[in-house]
Amino acid sequence: MQFWYFLTALTLLSALMVVLSKNPIHSVLYLVFTFFCISGHYVLLNAQFLMAVNIIVYAGAIMVLFLFVIMMLDLRRNMPDSKSNLTKLAGAILGGTLLVILVAVMRKTQFPQFSQMGGKFDTQTGMVENLGQVLFRDYLLPFELVSILFFVAMVGAVMLGKREAGERNF
Amino acid sequence: MNSIIALSLFGIANLFLGFLNNRKILLPATLAFVLVALGLNLADWNQEYLWFNNMLRTNNLSVNFASVILVATFLVVAVSRGFGDDEEHTHPAEYYAIMLFSVVGAIMMVTFENLIMLFVGLEILSVSMYILTGTDKRNLRSNEAALKYFLMGAFATGILLFGIALIYGATGSFNIHGIEALVLTAAGGSAPALLYIGIVMVIIGLLFKVSAAPFHFWTPDVYEGAPAIFTAFMSTVVKTAGFAALFRLLGGAFTGVYGTWIYILYFLTMLTLIIGNITAVYQQSFKRMLAYSSISHAGYLMLTATAKVAHTQSSILFYSLAYSVATISAFAVLMVVAETKESNAEKTNENFDIFNGLAKNNPLLAFVLTVSMLSLAGIPLTAGFWGKFFIFSDAFQRGIVVPLVVAVLMSAVGIYYYFKAIISAYFKEGDVPAIELKPIYKITLIVTTLLTIVLGIAPDLVKSIF
Amino acid sequence: MEIISTLFIAKAVFIVAVFAVTLGVAAYSTYFERKVAAFMQDRVGPDRAGPFGILQPLADAVKMFMKEDFIPTNSNKWLFIAGPCLSMLTALMTSAVVPFGDKLEIGGGATIDLQGIDVNIGILWVFGIVSLGVYGILIGGWASNNKYSLIGAIRAASQNISYELAMGMSIIAILMLSGSLSTKTIVEAQQNGHWNILYQPLGFLIFLVCAFAECNRTPFDLPECETELIGGYHTEYSSMKLGFYLFAEYINMFISGAVMATLYFGGYDYLGNSWVAEHWGENVATLIGVGALIGKALFFVFVFMWVRWTLPRFRYDQLMNLGWTILIPLAMFNVVLTGFSIISGWLMIVSWVGVALLLVAIIVYDSVTYKKKKVAVN
Repeated sequence: MQFWYFLTALTLLSALMVVLSKNPIHSVLYLVFTFFCISGHYVLLNAQFLMAVNIIVYAGAIMVLFLFVIMMLDLRRNMPDSKSNLTKLAGAILGGTLLVILVAVMRKTQFPQFSQMGGKFDTQTGMVENLGQVLFRDYLLPFELVSILFFVAMVGAVMLGKREAGERNF
Repeated sequence: MNSIIALSLFGIANLFLGFLNNRKILLPATLAFVLVALGLNLADWNQEYLWFNNMLRTNNLSVNFASVILVATFLVVAVSRGFGDDEEHTHPAEYYAIMLFSVVGAIMMVTFENLIMLFVGLEILSVSMYILTGTDKRNLRSNEAALKYFLMGAFATGILLFGIALIYGATGSFNIHGIEALVLTAAGGSAPALLYIGIVMVIIGLLFKVSAAPFHFWTPDVYEGAPAIFTAFMSTVVKTAGFAALFRLLGGAFTGVYGTWIYILYFLTMLTLIIGNITAVYQQSFKRMLAYSSISHAGYLMLTATAKVAHTQSSILFYSLAYSVATISAFAVLMVVAETKESNAEKTNENFDIFNGLAKNNPLLAFVLTVSMLSLAGIPLTAGFWGKFFIFSDAFQRGIVVPLVVAVLMSAVGIYYYFKAIISAYFKEGDVPAIELKPIYKITLIVTTLLTIVLGIAPDLVKSIF
Repeated sequence: MEIISTLFIAKAVFIVAVFAVTLGVAAYSTYFERKVAAFMQDRVGPDRAGPFGILQPLADAVKMFMKEDFIPTNSNKWLFIAGPCLSMLTALMTSAVVPFGDKLEIGGGATIDLQGIDVNIGILWVFGIVSLGVYGILIGGWASNNKYSLIGAIRAASQNISYELAMGMSIIAILMLSGSLSTKTIVEAQQNGHWNILYQPLGFLIFLVCAFAECNRTPFDLPECETELIGGYHTEYSSMKLGFYLFAEYINMFISGAVMATLYFGGYDYLGNSWVAEHWGENVATLIGVGALIGKALFFVFVFMWVRWTLPRFRYDQLMNLGWTILIPLAMFNVVLTGFSIISGWLMIVSWVGVALLLVAIIVYDSVTYKKKKVAVN
């Protein structure tokens, strides 16, 4: 439990730093760190497979590309603060309201105790074998249809990214 | 369900047809694909099925909605003209394939039984739309629109997903009938507070997709920036699917906690109607006007989607059909007329004044435009009138007085801006040369116009089926 | 409680031993590399420090520490330091799930697995850590505030991501055979000579090529290509920070050799291990198994060096072409082939015949298109 608090504090802190850092590279690195902390939470929830996939996909692939693009663009030079104070104020009010509502809701919600849920604990929950069973038995249809989603994204990326006739690269 | 599988395979088949380097074959092939899917869809008529561990439910309601979506897709494909002969800059095989895939998403949104299916369907539809918006790569407006749509859409999807997660946290179920049962038992006050905020977030996510105020800011820019053919697709298929999903949630799963969302929705309905209609009055661009008109039509549909009475679903279906048909004819006329005018970065060729003098050399186009405008404005003897009539009588029966009054007033405002197009076409001087129309294009225009008039004279033809 | 604390100490000792072996092997790899290079180029190589130059790594380490530790003025100081540390960290973390040996009895009825930790996602752990390995290079290259470093870092990033895909897909075939993600189970399924290399010739080839790319070794060492980029991502590094980068590369080589041995060469399996276990005792058999694994890993380290001094470096577009248009389709083919071989039940025959058929198809296709081109020229 102590470890959970420590990890949560670390997660929130690094997530905050993502937003607060001035340098986009630092933001990305904090985001990577946040993903690690979330992977830590997955381990605490006995979901090892999700932990590994989270690291491979987010920290290992997506964030590397992020970093890659930001380094290429070198965003440090041209970062004018384009938002007016009014926008910032409105954003702060909206975000703050949502935060207050969510916190209030969380406080009001009574989460069921371990004993109320039968008091049983299945050590195999979240293991990759069980995840596979659920994914390919109960959730087979969404699993297959997600491939359509990725296929659309792939076709679109190739179509939009392909060099047209008479167009120059860089 | 079978139509989903068929459309997925057809989309892939379409991509392979692209290898043939024969642009002529794609249009008829896609039309045939959509027709086959429509046939498979209608085969489920009068049967109720649950598919794959309660992931999808097909019944008459879903068959009807899917049919409206497929008919709209068919019409849009029919007026696409194979995306012209510009071999360098258009990729019809990809466009048609993405359109077919997006219809898969749309049908998932009307048949879903599990919130995960709703999410996946919504994402398939949205991602397809982001791509189709940006297809005109050389046009800065198109690029901007695609990026804007993508960023805002991703944000809205995030909110929807958060809402779904909170609902799952409160009820422990993704299944909408499971949620409905739990919501009903919990409605006595024992419901976890998570449920309410989850419901509101899901509704916000869906309202964004159907461009209701105040989540409408992307609509005008995106509709204006996207190529007209995809704007037509977007404003019909996405809207129908979005309202089907909204109606199935509001009328089914979330009914038990009516009080949580009904006043929010009334307020947003009025806001949508006022913003959509009043802003449309000030538009110079015809396409932008249609964007605001689509916002205002979202308002009318929200008016009836807020509650379940016996004939609500048939009102929504009828309205969606009438609106889709009229919008597609309007965009079809806009596309051919805009091609005769020059366009550059400062001045678009999609303003009202391009229609000046249209009736002189192109009486058919002017007539089609007139009928579609009349139908969108809700003038009697067009389908749009009955659509509005059914919705208003629904609202009246349920005693929703204030939003109803706003809606009636705003539809009077609507007449003004829809008539601007008719006035330019018939009463203003201009020089639109006689436009040669391909046979399929002409037939589609005649069919949509006839459909609008026939439904206007005898609405029961379709209304009795729904 | 007693047994648990004994186990804890034993495990700690084991982990320290793994680190020591890894670092020792990495240190001596530098010596070994120079000796191999010398042998291939018909030279003598290092022979001054100690007999046969055996103390050369020590001398190198002393030299590294004594050099001036230089941090460029306009660099990002913390990230500049973090780069080599991250490289070293990710290089060492992979060894946690490599099964170095079977069970070892340590008295009092307690046995200890000669593996850092047997998680049921072992191979994904390896894969995840390997995909993180690029951060050290990327951060170091960017923080140097030097264009050559940045280009080197960016090359490393795109190269790693490209080859991870083919690598992951070649691992999928292994998972299909063993039905588990745990490295221990994968090794146990290969005991008594049923090594995966017999059923996965194509998969091993893909994995080997990808391992070269992931370790940034020649012929894929474009991130540190001297002729174009001076020193690549470590242009600005000196002293022990540079040493860490170089060291991490050798550790990666050793660990990827160990992983290849685990996945394709039966791990700690060796000929006649049951005979040894019967006559000399389980513990001896296990220890010989550990030796066998390290021997296999060292053989792969030699292969890395062998290739380095044999093949020239790729051009960047060739590298990307190889990754995306050759290895990924091949890996997909391999997955399908493995599926066929499992269904047919004739694992070995189908997989080798499949590879042979693929080769024949490629040769036929090539000869046909070659003739066409000739006709076109005429």
